Amino acid sequence: MTMRYIIRMRGARLGALLAGLAVFLAACGGSSSANAPTTGSTIVFGAAVSLTGSQSKEGALTKQGYDLWLDWIKARGGIVVNNVKHPVEIKYEDDQSNANLSATLVQKLITDEKANFILGPYGSAATASDAVIAEKNGIPMVEANGAAQSIFSKGYKFTFGVLSPANKYLTGVIDMAATLSPKPTTIAMLTANDNFSVEVAKAVEDYAPSKGMQVVFTKQYPAAAPDVSGLISQAKQKNPDIVMNSGHLAESIAINKAAEQLGLDAKIFAYSVGPSTPDFISALGGDANYVYDGSQWTPQVKYTPAFYLSVADYVKAYKAKFSSNEDPDYHVAESTAACLAFQKALENAGSLDPVKVRDALASLDVMTFFGQIKFDSRGINTFKPMVVEQIQSGTHYTVFPANVANGSPKYPTPSWSSR
Amino acid sequence: MSQFTQQVILGLLLGGVYVAVALGFSLVWGILNIVNLAHGALVIVGAYITWVLFTRLHIDPFLSLPVDALALFVIGYALQRGVINRVIRAPLLFTFLLTFGINLVIVSLLLLIFTGDFRSVTPAYSGSGLHIGAVVIPYIRLGGLVAALVLAGILWAVLNRTRSGAAILAVGADRDAAQLVGVDLRHIYALTFAIGAAFAGVAGGIISTFQSITPTAGDPYTLQAFVVVILGGLGRVSATVAGGLAFGLIEVLGQSAHWLGSGYANAIAFVVLVVVLVVRPRGLLGRLA
Repeated sequence: MTMRYIIRMRGARLGALLAGLAVFLAACGGSSSANAPTTGSTIVFGAAVSLTGSQSKEGALTKQGYDLWLDWIKARGGIVVNNVKHPVEIKYEDDQSNANLSATLVQKLITDEKANFILGPYGSAATASDAVIAEKNGIPMVEANGAAQSIFSKGYKFTFGVLSPANKYLTGVIDMAATLSPKPTTIAMLTANDNFSVEVAKAVEDYAPSKGMQVVFTKQYPAAAPDVSGLISQAKQKNPDIVMNSGHLAESIAINKAAEQLGLDAKIFAYSVGPSTPDFISALGGDANYVYDGSQWTPQVKYTPAFYLSVADYVKAYKAKFSSNEDPDYHVAESTAACLAFQKALENAGSLDPVKVRDALASLDVMTFFGQIKFDSRGINTFKPMVVEQIQSGTHYTVFPANVANGSPKYPTPSWSSR
Repeated sequence: MSQFTQQVILGLLLGGVYVAVALGFSLVWGILNIVNLAHGALVIVGAYITWVLFTRLHIDPFLSLPVDALALFVIGYALQRGVINRVIRAPLLFTFLLTFGINLVIVSLLLLIFTGDFRSVTPAYSGSGLHIGAVVIPYIRLGGLVAALVLAGILWAVLNRTRSGAAILAVGADRDAAQLVGVDLRHIYALTFAIGAAFAGVAGGIISTFQSITPTAGDPYTLQAFVVVILGGLGRVSATVAGGLAFGLIEVLGQSAHWLGSGYANAIAFVVLVVVLVVRPRGLLGRLA
């Protein structure tokens, strides 16, 4: 609820951003066709993202990711499909953070704006309703911001998601824990009772035994619960090695505070959503240290991309384009990755035919700055791992998997009384 | 056994917060017959004042509680005199609409001033607690409970031991009769609302010590204050104290019930509320209307 309001505020900046973008598009629109000898028809991507309403912050981040790629591909004159260079355009609609409206707008983008392909909206709900439209029209959609697996359980053939699904959010932490010594063996799993969080927690309960770990305590609590001290004192009775929370920012802050107050000492504290945001560190100060979380992507990962920018250049391009001192959020990176999936699939397909591009997406396997993009039979990118971050001395470090990490886990977490 | 003791203590500590939040709400409802939907927003204004004093001037959150009370007293007085007084005799729906609107305005102002980022007040002792055997009592939660009980004592004393308090009770009992004997209605209305707001501000200061605050964090507290008042009963300070502590206990013990997921904690609390309404409509300690 709170995030939504933040967004409403920052949405005001969008106007400026859009104006800047318009100038930019006008500036490079003329030159791009001139330096391509064989120029084909313009490829139109349609995207209904939340530019106003409760999710306008996330929607803006999604749009930033798309636009970052658009700049890059425009500078190259377009996508080369079968030796013809096709200029690229992205048409946006504002779904006002309303999933039902999103579907209507996607249909409009396809019929009125003649969009060849669809880039996904923000959020699992909007993605689920847009997938229906993509399927009905036989137009491929690559989405970057809907992690719920339920989107992909309906047998759709035209929807692909570049991000790791919900069930991977905390299993990376278990993989990491299995490599540590002394190896932690018991887990207390706390879960907010919303669908995404429950999906995350269920995966932990299913996965932990395969790594020799036991879930000794599991409890759901109402999302946005004001007080979790009762739960924490129960978990403490079980003396778990790992305390996991699947919930949201406010709840992860509350759980961390209650754990400190009630002296719940664990070797690992890992929360699905929250610690990756700057708010978590500013709210908890030094108590945020040692906390782990699962993240789709971090600016520190070390992937070696087959095309497009390296991770470092991507971060640089982001800061330059949006005059930002902050690193790009993972929402931005995954959105750019959706564009990259389309670009590569179009190149591989050698055709603009939606069915051929769909088939090229289904067989896509490429390494990008965001990680590997490859879809399983349902259209989910189950091949990219989630990375594990840890907060160390107030800074985020990527600590797992080791081959993409820029730090090593500080383990075990010292007891509260000795900090 | 110690686990049960721990749960009971945590329930009472949580109940203390509910008492603090509900005192002002109950007063305004009982005397002015206004269900103040902006109460949670006033709570969060108090929380932000404590936060500002803590981060800018390093004032201990518990020492800033009187500042919260004073600031909210002034805001409350002005708000009632300037705005709410215009609908004081209008049907309930109008006061609902008006206070709902005031809630939106306050939340939006807080967003403009503080943005939606999560804020937290973390004094040095925020992580420590009193260890008695296996039972832990966090200091700040204990401080919150003590502050809430002090508040209740102050409210009781004001109502029962001062002239203004007698006037407030008189207006609550029969406004026309009170006016006939020379009570300045407009002043007493505004005074009552101001006291309610001041108590909300103190509750906010308490809340800021254990919960991260955002402009919208107050919304659930309006609902909880409502439940506490129904549960305890209207018209008595002791009823609000009983209702708040009972609600806190029910929530925490409901969470720990093994045969129920703690996802049902809210449901348990509201089932108890419905049972109370059916069996004892005036609340645990409420006066007969």
